[in-house]
Amino acid sequence: MHATIQKPIDEIIGYLDPGEKVFVVGCDNCAAKCHSGGIPDTQEMASRLEKRGVNVVGWCVPQPKGISLCKLANTKKVLQEEYGEVTKQADSFLILACGQGIHTVMDATDGGMVHAGCDTIFGGETVTDDFITEYCSLCGDCIVEYTAGLCPVTLCAKSLLNGPCGGAKNGKCEVDRNRDCGWQLIYDRLKELGQLDKMDKYIMPKNNSRWSRPRSLTMAGTEVTFRSLAGDVTISRQD
Amino acid sequence: MSKFKEKLESGKFVITGEIGPPKGVNIEKCLHDAELLRDYVTAINITDLQSAVLRIGSLAVSSKLIERRIEPIFQLTCRDRNRLALQSDLLSAWALGIENVLCLTGDHPTMGDHAEAKPVYDLDSVQLLKAASTLNQGRDMSDHELDSNPNFFLGAVVTPGAEPMEPQIIKMKKKIAVGARFFQTQAIYEPDKFESFINQVKSLNVPVIAGIVILKSAAMAKFMNENVAGITVPEDIINEMSDTPKEDRKKKAAEITARIIRQVKPLCQGVHIMPLGWDELVPEIIKEVEA
Repeated sequence: MHATIQKPIDEIIGYLDPGEKVFVVGCDNCAAKCHSGGIPDTQEMASRLEKRGVNVVGWCVPQPKGISLCKLANTKKVLQEEYGEVTKQADSFLILACGQGIHTVMDATDGGMVHAGCDTIFGGETVTDDFITEYCSLCGDCIVEYTAGLCPVTLCAKSLLNGPCGGAKNGKCEVDRNRDCGWQLIYDRLKELGQLDKMDKYIMPKNNSRWSRPRSLTMAGTEVTFRSLAGDVTISRQD
Repeated sequence: MSKFKEKLESGKFVITGEIGPPKGVNIEKCLHDAELLRDYVTAINITDLQSAVLRIGSLAVSSKLIERRIEPIFQLTCRDRNRLALQSDLLSAWALGIENVLCLTGDHPTMGDHAEAKPVYDLDSVQLLKAASTLNQGRDMSDHELDSNPNFFLGAVVTPGAEPMEPQIIKMKKKIAVGARFFQTQAIYEPDKFESFINQVKSLNVPVIAGIVILKSAAMAKFMNENVAGITVPEDIINEMSDTPKEDRKKKAAEITARIIRQVKPLCQGVHIMPLGWDELVPEIIKEVEA
């Protein structure tokens, strides 16, 4: 999931011209889980803006329940058909969703003016209804086979691949003594699994061209192609 | 040829010093500190933006030492440069006459005075050592041939006081496998613990140089105990310092340092003295240890 957090209301107000007619759009998937763009959050945002004198022409969180804003076909249908009369009057859209959702609204409204109502902060695991945390950095070159399923790129502040630096104290990271050292977690788990020998393996430097942006994925029949500056990688599901 | 390498490889005990480049453009003071150490140490480490604080670079100061015929150990961290810059700085270092390189991870930028800087860490210290070894063999990390190759004497660091010790030793072995030929350690204040570390790494047959930080005060000891990983200054040393009147502190610091060096000397192949500004004590300490 893409974790998001609403921007401070004053920052959002600062984006808007006097009299600008705004339509607020939320997302019923990730942003709803983050309490940044679900139905109650979007409705609240509309009234908070109105209270501050903003001309809000309407708001919506595209349904069916739980659907992502970034699913273009659905968002387009909702914004152009279901809410077509209202969105036509809008000068701009304030998006309470991740950066992908912002672009989806742009596409769904044929190039409509958009404002970011949230900062997109990380991709995470929804551990509980009120706690989301990050275990993957979307690097495109996964090495957790050698690290007991725990990603050092994400869990180590320095993204070290070949073991801990000398900065951990009592199993806590040098950047924040309340935070676990990622390599301590990896070491403990490898040991518990009886796979400590995996730590002996030299892990090559990352192929950062697989982390180049923007990247894309194309699905065609039984094949999927990942495109990045590392070149196209096509995987067949039937090999 | 590196005297430091020659001494270590012939099994001799070496003493190295350390200098931190200044924050500004006047390097006279740090060159003066190097002159103080010249006759007492085999080589001097030049730190690379230590504690992630912006300063003059280690390459420039190492080069200035070469001009003065003092042998530097060029410290190179992974924090601020990607693999292109790291390899380029290594080639530059060789062209400037630098032979000894200490490859480190580097303190995180949030520890220093530019907390908003992008942490690079394109390579880790093991990968950096491997890259430097590859340059020694005449090729770059992308396997392209160099028109001429360096021949660096490569070293790394280890923290003997880390708990647990095992991951440090695993990483130390990886560093040796990719080309580390010597190790300098985090500061040692507990010779017993250091001995148990040495017993665990003896079979690796690599020279270990024990880190010695001159303890300036009880407050400094307490600060390190609370904040610096892998350093434990025992209570009796802290008390020794706090029981000493301020005017006698330098004398006491020299005495404690000399005592620790005498205790670790039989266990390792050298000591690396980090005076943290009290460079004038180093000659006295070394004379006392060698007496």
